[in-house]
Amino acid sequence: MLSTETPFSDFGEEVVRAENLRKTFTLSRKQQRLEHTDFPRKVAVDGLSFSAYRGEIYGLLGPNGAGKTTTLRILSTLIRPDSGDAAVCGHSVTREPQKVRDTIGFMTSELKLESFFTPSYLFDFFGAMHGVEKGALAERKKELFARFGIDRFAEVRVRDLSTGMLQKVSLVISIVHDPSVVIFDEPTNGLDVLTAKVVTDFLLELKAMGKSILLSTHIFSLVEKLCDRVGIIIDGKMAADGTLADVCGGMSIEEKFFEIYRGVKGETV
Amino acid sequence: MKLLALMKKEFSRFFGDPKLLITMILPGVLIYLIYTIMGSAIFGGSETAQYDFKVYVSGESQAVQLIDDAVGKQEGWTAEFVYLPAEDAETVGQAQEKVRNGEADALLTFSEGFDDALAGAAAGGPVPTADLYYNSESDASAAFASLAGGILDAYGRTFSFTMSDFAEAADIARGVMAGLLPFLIVVFIFSSCMSVTLESVAGEKERGTLATILVTSARRSDIALGKVLPLSCVSLIGAASSFLGVVLSLPTLMGMSLDVAVAGVGALGYFFLFLLIVSVVPLIVSAIAAVSTLSRTVKEASGYTGMLMILMMVFSLVSAFVQGIGGWVVAVPVLNAVAAMQGVLTGAMEIWKCLVSFGLNLVYTALLVFVIARLLSSERVMFGK
Repeated sequence: MLSTETPFSDFGEEVVRAENLRKTFTLSRKQQRLEHTDFPRKVAVDGLSFSAYRGEIYGLLGPNGAGKTTTLRILSTLIRPDSGDAAVCGHSVTREPQKVRDTIGFMTSELKLESFFTPSYLFDFFGAMHGVEKGALAERKKELFARFGIDRFAEVRVRDLSTGMLQKVSLVISIVHDPSVVIFDEPTNGLDVLTAKVVTDFLLELKAMGKSILLSTHIFSLVEKLCDRVGIIIDGKMAADGTLADVCGGMSIEEKFFEIYRGVKGETV
Repeated sequence: MKLLALMKKEFSRFFGDPKLLITMILPGVLIYLIYTIMGSAIFGGSETAQYDFKVYVSGESQAVQLIDDAVGKQEGWTAEFVYLPAEDAETVGQAQEKVRNGEADALLTFSEGFDDALAGAAAGGPVPTADLYYNSESDASAAFASLAGGILDAYGRTFSFTMSDFAEAADIARGVMAGLLPFLIVVFIFSSCMSVTLESVAGEKERGTLATILVTSARRSDIALGKVLPLSCVSLIGAASSFLGVVLSLPTLMGMSLDVAVAGVGALGYFFLFLLIVSVVPLIVSAIAAVSTLSRTVKEASGYTGMLMILMMVFSLVSAFVQGIGGWVVAVPVLNAVAAMQGVLTGAMEIWKCLVSFGLNLVYTALLVFVIARLLSSERVMFGK
């Protein structure tokens, strides 16, 4: 746990700070069989610490099952760490989850939109959920819907939208309240090249606006294209953390990742 | 504001889908059809029955005139009020015997100076008494008792009124109906609540749309209330439909006209009947919502809810057919309302039981909302694999 009485008192440019996050899950007998283990618990995140700063994109890079999604879920307050803590804009995810939710926009493929409603209705609904004032909400809807080409589909039910358009709608709704920190779990997964470009361009735009972005990915090119800082997670532990240049040390991120992976796992891929 | 937005969403979801609306109204139509058919089969043709009541009266009251007027309003009904002592019955005991034998339809007894004593009782004086003796083995006697009982119930609150049935072998069909009515009301309410709540809570959880709301800064208690309140309102449409179905089918079921049936249960009786339904609906909605929150899929929630329904049906049947259930029943959720409804329908309404059942069911609902809010905060419940 964080030691100070007033945690994260030094919050300034450091908008996200995770300290010794640890999270374990109970495995059912079936899951134990699938994981080829006799241990009833699985360590998903094991003492993870890192910081992300204002106006930068921080990427969590790692293979499937490394603990990226669990880390982002902890930061978005959907789950609680077993030990350790994290602060988002100075608010503890364990003690002030509601304040944290006010400051973040979280997008993951696991969070879905009700297919019965239209993008316009859902935008207004989630705006109200975040307490956005009606006038500002209408203005923001107009701007974001035009920016992503959603305006023509504003009154089409979500169930009738294409996958790409649905992803854009989800993206727009996740930032309806103009959050300071945007957390994206695998932001371009399952998207066609055109929609993926729209999303990555928008992330860069958000960064230019001074927003902080945390994303998880296993796509090397995405890290190289977007991230200022990167944390490489393997088996729930932070194997490397720093600016892209520092972590790579002249190598490509892909080469560096596999070098670290071999070092940690002692095996080739 | 967030609670309002959540509630508005649920209403939009419901009223935007005509199919859901139909599933709410259908139970009432079904109750009406089933009960009307059952009533016609059991009391076939009796709804147009002609009755010439012979009623003995001991003592005096203006209420007799009111009853006579009410009888006169029924097509084909007439009443002869014979004051004791009469030629064929000099004493109350003899008149009771005539009613028991089926030679007369009812005996009304009023304590001395009944009408004057009513005013005195309101000011703290002795409480006057009125008794109605009838024999429900005779349709005519039962019809008169139903009508007169309703009028006397509404006549004033400051006297003691007792209805005594001489039927040695109570009319089984009618008894079964009175026992089954509240049971069926609860079953239909449960079905209405189940159809909307399972979809709205377990469905949203399964599809991942509930988790999307959890990422917003809305409080878990608001999210829980934002489900239970609108779903209760929506289910109340179903409940109101069921209630209307019962009210409209009662006359055929009891073999009498609508006016008489309404007078039999009494305005106050109907008021409490509706109040009890209103208290049961949010309770059942929140119980199903809690079970749905605990379940991973709609299928799983349906299984658990089915078990809950069977449990409730068994409880309701026990209450309907087991004699001598103690006052403790008032503390048992839903069952208390079933027992109180039976009291209303059989003319043995106890106001305190209706009010306590109503209040307690709302308290249980509040507790369940709290439980749902806790469940929504539980990572194991919401995101456990």
